Amino acid sequence: MEQRQVQAEAQERVFVGIPAAPGIAIGPAYLFNKREVVVEARSIAEAEVTAELERFEQAVQRAERDLDKISSVAREKLGEESAAVFEAQRLMLRDESVYDRIREYIRTHHCNADYAVARVLDEHLKRLEASSNAYLQERVADLIDVKERLIRHLRREKLLSAVHPEHIIVAENLSAADVVLFSRRGILGCATDHGGPTSHVSIMARALGVPAVVSLHGLSDSVQTGDLIILDGIQGRVVVSPRPETLTLYRTRQERYRRLLQDQQHLIPLPAETLDGRRFILRANLELIEELDLLQKYGAEGIGLFRTEVLFLMRGPLNISEDYQLHIYRQIVEQVKPAPTTFRLLDLGGDKMLPIAHREHNPFLGWRGLRVLLDRPELLLPQLRALLRASAYGPVRILVPMVTALDEYHRFLEVLEQVKAELRTRGERFDETVPVGIMVEVPSVALMADLFAEEADFFSIGTNDLTQYTLAVDRGNDLVAQLYEALHPAVLRLIKHTIEAAHRHGIPVSLCGELAGDPQATPILAGMGLDEFSASPPYLPEVKRVIRAMQFNEAQELAAQALQCRTAAEVAALVNKWLQEHGCGLLQYMQTEEPAGGNVRSTASSLQES
Amino acid sequence: MIVREVVVKNKSGLHTRPASMIVRTAARFKSDFFIEKDGYEINGKSIIGVMTLAAEPGARLRLIFDGEDEEEAAKAIVALFEQGFGEID
Repeated sequence: MEQRQVQAEAQERVFVGIPAAPGIAIGPAYLFNKREVVVEARSIAEAEVTAELERFEQAVQRAERDLDKISSVAREKLGEESAAVFEAQRLMLRDESVYDRIREYIRTHHCNADYAVARVLDEHLKRLEASSNAYLQERVADLIDVKERLIRHLRREKLLSAVHPEHIIVAENLSAADVVLFSRRGILGCATDHGGPTSHVSIMARALGVPAVVSLHGLSDSVQTGDLIILDGIQGRVVVSPRPETLTLYRTRQERYRRLLQDQQHLIPLPAETLDGRRFILRANLELIEELDLLQKYGAEGIGLFRTEVLFLMRGPLNISEDYQLHIYRQIVEQVKPAPTTFRLLDLGGDKMLPIAHREHNPFLGWRGLRVLLDRPELLLPQLRALLRASAYGPVRILVPMVTALDEYHRFLEVLEQVKAELRTRGERFDETVPVGIMVEVPSVALMADLFAEEADFFSIGTNDLTQYTLAVDRGNDLVAQLYEALHPAVLRLIKHTIEAAHRHGIPVSLCGELAGDPQATPILAGMGLDEFSASPPYLPEVKRVIRAMQFNEAQELAAQALQCRTAAEVAALVNKWLQEHGCGLLQYMQTEEPAGGNVRSTASSLQES
Repeated sequence: MIVREVVVKNKSGLHTRPASMIVRTAARFKSDFFIEKDGYEINGKSIIGVMTLAAEPGARLRLIFDGEDEEEAAKAIVALFEQGFGEID
């Protein structure tokens, strides 16, 4: 870790992460420290016990007020299910096995309240962690939140109340509760060390229109509250202590982006059509029913990827019944129709939480996606039944995650046929011709795309995983993350191969990775003949702007050139020049020179998200 | 003392939201309230207790009420179970 020099001007440092919500924020950092609280035992005199109990009572009351606020905002922004989590946390504060026992502990041990809180809650935590019930294991996080909230209030740490509006939150990670509370305080943006595009912080930031960047490994160790930082939620980077030139550059970009947003409004009702009339379809990636109004706001034509993991993780995967799923899916389908909703089957594994306590040496090459579903019919069958039944209420498309081999996909199709037969016997209504598609996110599937295309109704290319697997780069590993290049010619060739194979068999291809929302990739993807772009809604208008600024044959030519490039840098140079010539709005943003200064990363080893 | 037998009817069992509803409702009454499942008894006014039951759909529970307003308490809590905690069927 570099030494901080007193006197000398702080050095500019650039951190590269994953863009989570677009926009540019410039302002002082607020370091939100979530590291484990260290609690020391302190003896108190008999005469101090009453005062200590009172101090505890005050902390409980302040924590109750926090959680009241959090659950009311959560109810509005995230729905009843997640509000219930915070309401339960609030009830835990007065639970006899918490509240009464802590008071008892203070009285009998003559110790400080902080220590009593830690002792009593750690005991509960130990019991829950030892449980074999998945639902109870998930409650561990709730208890940890309660414990830390109480201890912070006991120390009167001015946690959230010290966050001034006009600050950028920097944290290792943010829980749903944190984000909900911050969002009420008019913060400028969020930057976290961990997390991905579907973490709570990313979902909330997009819903609230607050710029955010995640996966900025080591950022929180290099920033102190008050440091001036720039957060670029478009390119996914953070600049700490920027030099005056960098600051000027980003102020210009910020102003341009503001104008761009105003200018975006006119694009929203327009079709994603090239100058010569070739139509593309722009769809949304969503994970919450509460996000549905974003479709209209950003002009998405249906849902290209509805991730069902969040739905399951809120309740515990085994606690979610067929009927409950149907209830949710039906609401979505009815609101989105006549446009289709593409539901991706539960995609666990890799960096996503598993229903069962489970550790693997190499989770990205392990038990994930379709492999989990085929092994766990108790997860797969109710979801398939619910999705098929939802198809009676509007167009549903079923997307199978992490397929790697044809025989595996055949096994899935057999299960699907069994489920359909069962529903017919039960007399349930469903669309017999529900389209079934596969995620193309492993090189083996891209290479065998012609054979898969014979048996799938559509493809959806997941570029995030496809890039990782093709280039053998774990982007969560700081030592190699810079080798993760979304525009690498090898990845582009696999995409091209997939699209051609699909079109020979007359099936459409969608792309639902981050690349779909990156205007830099738009002309290449369009030129390769991609049919649908599916991205987080706020990223769609700029993609549309690029499409509307080009002739289709020019894009085809560009794509052909890109496929002949030797490196990702060559592709980037080629496309930037092209965008410049086509005078797209975002072009002005991107063509400005990059701020100098290296990409500083911590040397900490890779951290897998838990 | 009143004892009532109930079956968990709602499809997802006593997860977080139903557990909160039970505890909040029980807190309105003075009577003691316990829930027994498979010979294991917990305080029905404790959210941690109710969640620890992890009662799945179909689980049979014994509800035990004891105190001056036990009648009213039993009526209110049993109603929650019967209505499936306001969940969809």
